[in-house]
Amino acid sequence: MLTVRNVITLGVSILTALRLSIPSKFAPPSLPYPSSSPNPRNSSLSALHSAPSPSHPNPKPPTSTLPSSTTRPRRKRRFRPTNAAGRVNSPPAFDDGPEETEYEIAAAYEELYVLAYSGVSVLSNDIYVMDSKVKRTSAFGKVKKEKTKDGFEERVVQVRRVTKVVKGGKQLHFRAIVVVGDKQGRVGVRVGKAKEVIDAVQKSATNARRNIIAIPMTKYLTFPHRSEGDYGAATVILGPAAPGTGVIAGGAVRIVLEMAGVENALGKQLGSKIALNNARATVVAVQKMKQFREVSEERGIPMEELWR
Amino acid sequence: MARRYWNINLEEMLEAGVHFGHGTRKWNPRMAPYISAKRKGIHITNLTRTARFLSEACDLLFDAATKGKQFLIVGTKNKAADSVARAAIRARCHYVNKKWLGGMLTNWPTTETRLHKFRDLRTEQKTGGLNRLPKRDAAMLKRQLSRLQTYLGGIKYMTRLPDIVIIVDQQEEYTALRECITLGIPTICLIDTNCDPDLADISIPANDDAIASIRLILNKLVVAICEGRSSYIRNP
Repeated sequence: MLTVRNVITLGVSILTALRLSIPSKFAPPSLPYPSSSPNPRNSSLSALHSAPSPSHPNPKPPTSTLPSSTTRPRRKRRFRPTNAAGRVNSPPAFDDGPEETEYEIAAAYEELYVLAYSGVSVLSNDIYVMDSKVKRTSAFGKVKKEKTKDGFEERVVQVRRVTKVVKGGKQLHFRAIVVVGDKQGRVGVRVGKAKEVIDAVQKSATNARRNIIAIPMTKYLTFPHRSEGDYGAATVILGPAAPGTGVIAGGAVRIVLEMAGVENALGKQLGSKIALNNARATVVAVQKMKQFREVSEERGIPMEELWR
Repeated sequence: MARRYWNINLEEMLEAGVHFGHGTRKWNPRMAPYISAKRKGIHITNLTRTARFLSEACDLLFDAATKGKQFLIVGTKNKAADSVARAAIRARCHYVNKKWLGGMLTNWPTTETRLHKFRDLRTEQKTGGLNRLPKRDAAMLKRQLSRLQTYLGGIKYMTRLPDIVIIVDQQEEYTALRECITLGIPTICLIDTNCDPDLADISIPANDDAIASIRLILNKLVVAICEGRSSYIRNP
């Protein structure tokens, strides 16, 4: 097996055979004759390793494969940071090491993190510091619902009352489908269910804000090309239109396109007329669209080719 | 990310038993590149690769600590619970010792409500408010307090979602890992031969059964965090 050790041994033997000077670090140290009881396990290996050249003054000590052996001369010095006492400089493990009092631990945590929710302040900080960061229910009835100003408008497509029949009777919930969009090409469609209409609308709006897609639009606020999309049994075909046409589409498709900011488009619901599935199908159709510039870059051809 | 020397000794790892895996029948074939041999029905992981991943993880933790990021250590196995708590306290990180409640990170507003309650209960206990109540109410509140202490005691200093999460056993802590993935939080995970190495960002193939091996790896990571923190404190 060709290892570094073998190669060096071979090199040393070649150099000694040629009576060339050996660099000092490769020369074997002048040890006394190897131990009188040679290790039977290593005798075969030492026979392989040692070069029986007559010009070699000192026979090579037997090499062994144990990592902790000290008879073999070290060729490669491994980097180990040690201090004067010869011990390795490593910090104590977290288990051993000085035991810290609770006071010290609490103080250290407080310095690093703002007091957060620990409730007890060691360094005399204000323990109610988190209140200003989190909205809490005020003492006067309902929390003032602040309208999140992130530029998204919500529109409810449909609210239905759905029922789950259990042993005790019927459990009623409300299911709201909400389309969220800024009028600049970003929309999201999601469902939310709750026992009250308002909560359901809120839930669906939060979810919709988390899953927003971008619609490719041209300068005249229309699609780059026509496309189809389906979700379940609902199929929707979308097509571009000349400026001044407006959005010619029905129901859910119209709402999605309006919230996206598309001004001129054609859309038709083929297949089933269920609002939720059609809204999702428009999203699928829109995701399939690509801008002409992207396609020409991908394919590496000039844009004029695409319009032939 | 500069590479530093973390004094990762292969002999130390052999002594701690980091190279032992689980039984041969329970392996995940995705771990094939990290397994070096099969001995007596147990897979043996390749320690050189472990050392490499461990040093990369330490580098990542050091750099993150120099920028003042927050860490979370998750370990709910009985064996690992104690060492996780001590390691986190030494490194001044947040930790989850007992059961990981579902939605701790993804449902952060609700967790925050619980932390508020925890804080209020503690202040009341400190000011002696519990003694003024009738016995039954006081007992109920004390029970709530002890419950919150066991489950949320390690994260009571957490103000926002952590930046890096360290998970001790992937099989046990699967929910925690899933939450981090949905939220996009980078994770460092201790992987055994029956785990999936592609889920976490940095996965360290090691033995998650032996206390010594968990201790060793946590020790190295904690040292990295402490060093990074000290340089952050010196020049923020």
